[in-house]
Amino acid sequence: MKKIGVFLCHCGINISATVDIEKAMEALKDYPGVAHIEDYKYMCSDPGQQLIKKKIKDLGLDGVVVCACSPTLHENTFRLTVKAAGMNEYKMEMANIREQCSWVHKDKTVATEKAIKIIKSVIEKARLDEALDPIEVDITRKAMVIGAGVAGIQTALNIANSGYEVILVEREPSIGGKMAQLSETFPTLDCSQCILTPKMVEVSNHPKIKLMTYSEVVDVSGFVGNFKVKVKRKATGLDWDVCNGCGLCTEKCPKKLPSEFDQGLGERKAIYRPFPQAVPNRVVIDFENCTYMQSGKCGICQKVCPVKAIDFDKEDKFVEEEVGAIICATGFETYSVKDIPEFGGGKLPDVVDGLTFERILSASGPTGGEVRRPSDGKVPKDIVFLECVCSRDPEHYLPYCSKVCCMYTVKHAMLYKHRVHDGQPYVFYMDMRTGGKGYEEFYQRAAEEDKVVFIRGKVSKLYQDDDKIVVCGVDTLSNETIEIRADMVVLATAIVPSKGIRELTKLLKIQIDQHGFLSEAHPKLRPVESLTAGVYLAGCAQSPRDIPDTVSQASGAASMVCTLFANEKLKHEPIIVGVNEDICSGCGICTVVCPYDARKTNLEKKLVEVNEVLCEGCGACAAACPSGAAQQNNYTDNQINAMIKAILGKGG
Amino acid sequence: MEISYYPGCTLKTKAINFETSALALLEKLDVKAIELKDWNCCGVMFSQSQDNLMKQLAPIRTLIRAKESGRDRLLTLCSMCYNTLKRSALFIQENEDKRDKINDFMDLEETEYFGNEIEVVNILTLLDEIDKDKLKASIVKDAKDLKVATYYGCLLTRPKEVAIDNVEDPQIMENLLEAAGCKPVYFPFKTECCASFQVVSRKDIARERTRKIVDSARKNGAEMILLACPLCEYNLDKLQKELHEEDSTFETLPVLYVTQLLAILAGVDPEINDYSKHYIDPRPVLERKGLL
Amino acid sequence: MFEPKIIAFYCKWCTSAGADLAGTSRLQYAPNIVGIRVMCSSRVDPEHILNAFKEGADGVLIGGCHPGDCHYKSGNYVTLRRITLLKTMMEDLGISADRLRLDWISAAEGKRFAEVVTEFTEQIREKGPLKKESLKEEAV
Repeated sequence: MKKIGVFLCHCGINISATVDIEKAMEALKDYPGVAHIEDYKYMCSDPGQQLIKKKIKDLGLDGVVVCACSPTLHENTFRLTVKAAGMNEYKMEMANIREQCSWVHKDKTVATEKAIKIIKSVIEKARLDEALDPIEVDITRKAMVIGAGVAGIQTALNIANSGYEVILVEREPSIGGKMAQLSETFPTLDCSQCILTPKMVEVSNHPKIKLMTYSEVVDVSGFVGNFKVKVKRKATGLDWDVCNGCGLCTEKCPKKLPSEFDQGLGERKAIYRPFPQAVPNRVVIDFENCTYMQSGKCGICQKVCPVKAIDFDKEDKFVEEEVGAIICATGFETYSVKDIPEFGGGKLPDVVDGLTFERILSASGPTGGEVRRPSDGKVPKDIVFLECVCSRDPEHYLPYCSKVCCMYTVKHAMLYKHRVHDGQPYVFYMDMRTGGKGYEEFYQRAAEEDKVVFIRGKVSKLYQDDDKIVVCGVDTLSNETIEIRADMVVLATAIVPSKGIRELTKLLKIQIDQHGFLSEAHPKLRPVESLTAGVYLAGCAQSPRDIPDTVSQASGAASMVCTLFANEKLKHEPIIVGVNEDICSGCGICTVVCPYDARKTNLEKKLVEVNEVLCEGCGACAAACPSGAAQQNNYTDNQINAMIKAILGKGG
Repeated sequence: MEISYYPGCTLKTKAINFETSALALLEKLDVKAIELKDWNCCGVMFSQSQDNLMKQLAPIRTLIRAKESGRDRLLTLCSMCYNTLKRSALFIQENEDKRDKINDFMDLEETEYFGNEIEVVNILTLLDEIDKDKLKASIVKDAKDLKVATYYGCLLTRPKEVAIDNVEDPQIMENLLEAAGCKPVYFPFKTECCASFQVVSRKDIARERTRKIVDSARKNGAEMILLACPLCEYNLDKLQKELHEEDSTFETLPVLYVTQLLAILAGVDPEINDYSKHYIDPRPVLERKGLL
Repeated sequence: MFEPKIIAFYCKWCTSAGADLAGTSRLQYAPNIVGIRVMCSSRVDPEHILNAFKEGADGVLIGGCHPGDCHYKSGNYVTLRRITLLKTMMEDLGISADRLRLDWISAAEGKRFAEVVTEFTEQIREKGPLKKESLKEEAV
């Protein structure tokens, strides 16, 4: 019989407060297969791991059950521990008596009983575990970055500068993302474009970076080190290889439309470049609004184009790329003012969101950096900024803090005051959250030097009265209701994940949280990885964050990719489903349920053959096999049935 | 279509013209509202007391009557009745133990009520359900773009669990009146509270509210305020008169139940509205538009 | 009070992660359930389920990823088909079909996990123990 060591972790008091460790040990010590049982306060700590190693060596254990937290957290830790002691790492099993037992039950007797059942079932599994060796797989040392805002740009540059090839995919015609729209950045007030555009140019000139703008990922298959990604290159209506970006077409195009880049305040044409510093410096045709595409009349752009690049080709093209790692940096949007009826529901022109105000402040914006309100172009003398719009409001909107609004609102108020010296900015806030280097000082400066009036309280309603916006709020420090007749109001609306993220995460097989932000593998220790190996996260797609945080996290994701690429070979989990050739009749039922085409029927040999590299180990085929020839490594029918018995008190 | 109808106290007295106009309008729209037999007070205001279940008995007993009528929907005109009945139903739906206690207490009732058998429907919701083309077809008088301010008050939209429409920016009345040929104006105070019962103890608050609400409506060009709540009607109508008596520069706006105007437009005899119940006479405005 | 014995099979990627989230959120739920973590709900063979009933389980819960979210592309659809089929057969074997529950619980749905477990436990408690005599053993 196998000699199994059972190690119970107290996890401080996380487990031992509700699971009676002593009682559990008493109940388990004579369980068949158990050669040794021991407890320790923190099994994952170095002394804890040393203890396991020592017992493996001293007692010649050939199976280990660690009764502690979720395997998601420490399976890898303990696998490495037993491996270091010379035991095969797949003979280590974890019994989850924390997340699925001690934390969810209060009654000690009940929790202890349940923990014993869980541990017994895992001992049963360990008794039948076989030694497995990881399957070695080649790596494609090329990364794909999805989303080319500052997060994607930083990641791409870091990876490319390490010598690996990068494909940078962006949905919009130009890279740059939201940061390209910003005016100045807190707390240093350097111009956003000035610090971003050099990076954008570096990307476009980098020999290791292949840029795919106006493109979307439509299909992803494969696994870490060996992804196949299908990218749709949206039709631009012209040949980008021929176009030189002179912009004559955009000058002559007669069709004017609101510019997305200027948040609808400025104009663009039906053939357009999103903004003058766009990278790549190319134009696209907006098919839906192009007169020629809709009616067949016009075609002026084609006539004036000096290099004859315009072909009105509407056909999207699809390309397939093989990459070893994918970084998801799809960014954010802001909660639409249209969906906030108490603040006018988008019907009041002088109530704008933060991004729109960035355009108003920007030297390259529709007003050339002069603060003028949208309705009549007047310079607003009383301006009100509202923070936490739709954030921190679980009753009506979103429960989370959007993190950047405190700081950018302070910046807005400050920049406004720098441009309109006789104007008065007011800020309604819930709490000022100014954690960050130089942030608190920046806030103090706004209050003291720029005389921004900060009012602690929320606003319940905005309405138009003559040419004023009436702001009805409350000052919770003086406990008085306040009404301000403002010329303009800026809403710091909540940060939400960008559209289409749900579909993308389904393709990438990564998780999102309840608000649609990407989930990290571990909130503290693995913050830039997804739970799917080879897929990494960067930027606001994961949660709201400012530029410094985004850039450092982007570099973190890049370094994870480089760490992956530094491996000679990748190790593929050996928990695959093989074929017992003595039993298999070649019926092929298992091949039908396999999602990866890993199983093929060999009609000559009347056998099913397995491509071990393709098998991801879901086990669907094992359950389908009528004869039991397909068994999943370390998840065999015998093991599962033994676990069932153990849980129902019939084990051993 | 047939629907059970719960009047409530005010609809038989102070707001009788709300009832007469609503029933006449519904008849024009082929809706038969059948008054509940043996109804009692709705309870007036949903009781915030979680433990004093006595206060839930009145609304629940009404819902039992509705259940016994065999029809699964119950129409209310008064927004207070709507709010109380709907919230009491929700309350016992969400608190099973309290529901059982209430039913135990009322064991002489032959019917038990569980919370979700009856859908309490406000008159505005019911009118909104009617096909707009059908509504348009039933309109026989030209409103000549009568500019109206639609006032919802608080009870129809708060709390959000029982709101008949978007809490902050309801549109039901606007849609109905637009279909009937009126022009709703921008009216940011449409969900502002009229001060409700404060009119009894703190009339000054209620007056200030009325002034604000009427000022905003007039400033945005309204010729008339339309609403669907007897208490709002009383406050806005009566207090306007008082404000005007005190200060003759205060300009008044007539206040009508939305059903009163719609009934006239649908060809019901305008006299059904009993204008003597109004403090500000709406007839001059109606006359100007040729609606009398 | 009758304490039912319930076996659960959780897929590693969604439901087990959802159960972990219930833990990290400290949500309390009925302790009658003990889970077996498999890579995918499609690993669960109908025979495992029948075996669990045979060995004394009063209820079986299968948890997988939401449709379209399966980590293995289509495993949960395979599970859905198998469980639907198995339920039609269970009645013939003398096991009421509602002793088996298949539910989709994602990694983000810790609260839902706790709710499903508690609700299912109560439902099985109400049904009472699965009686040996009604179970045709030879059929299993």
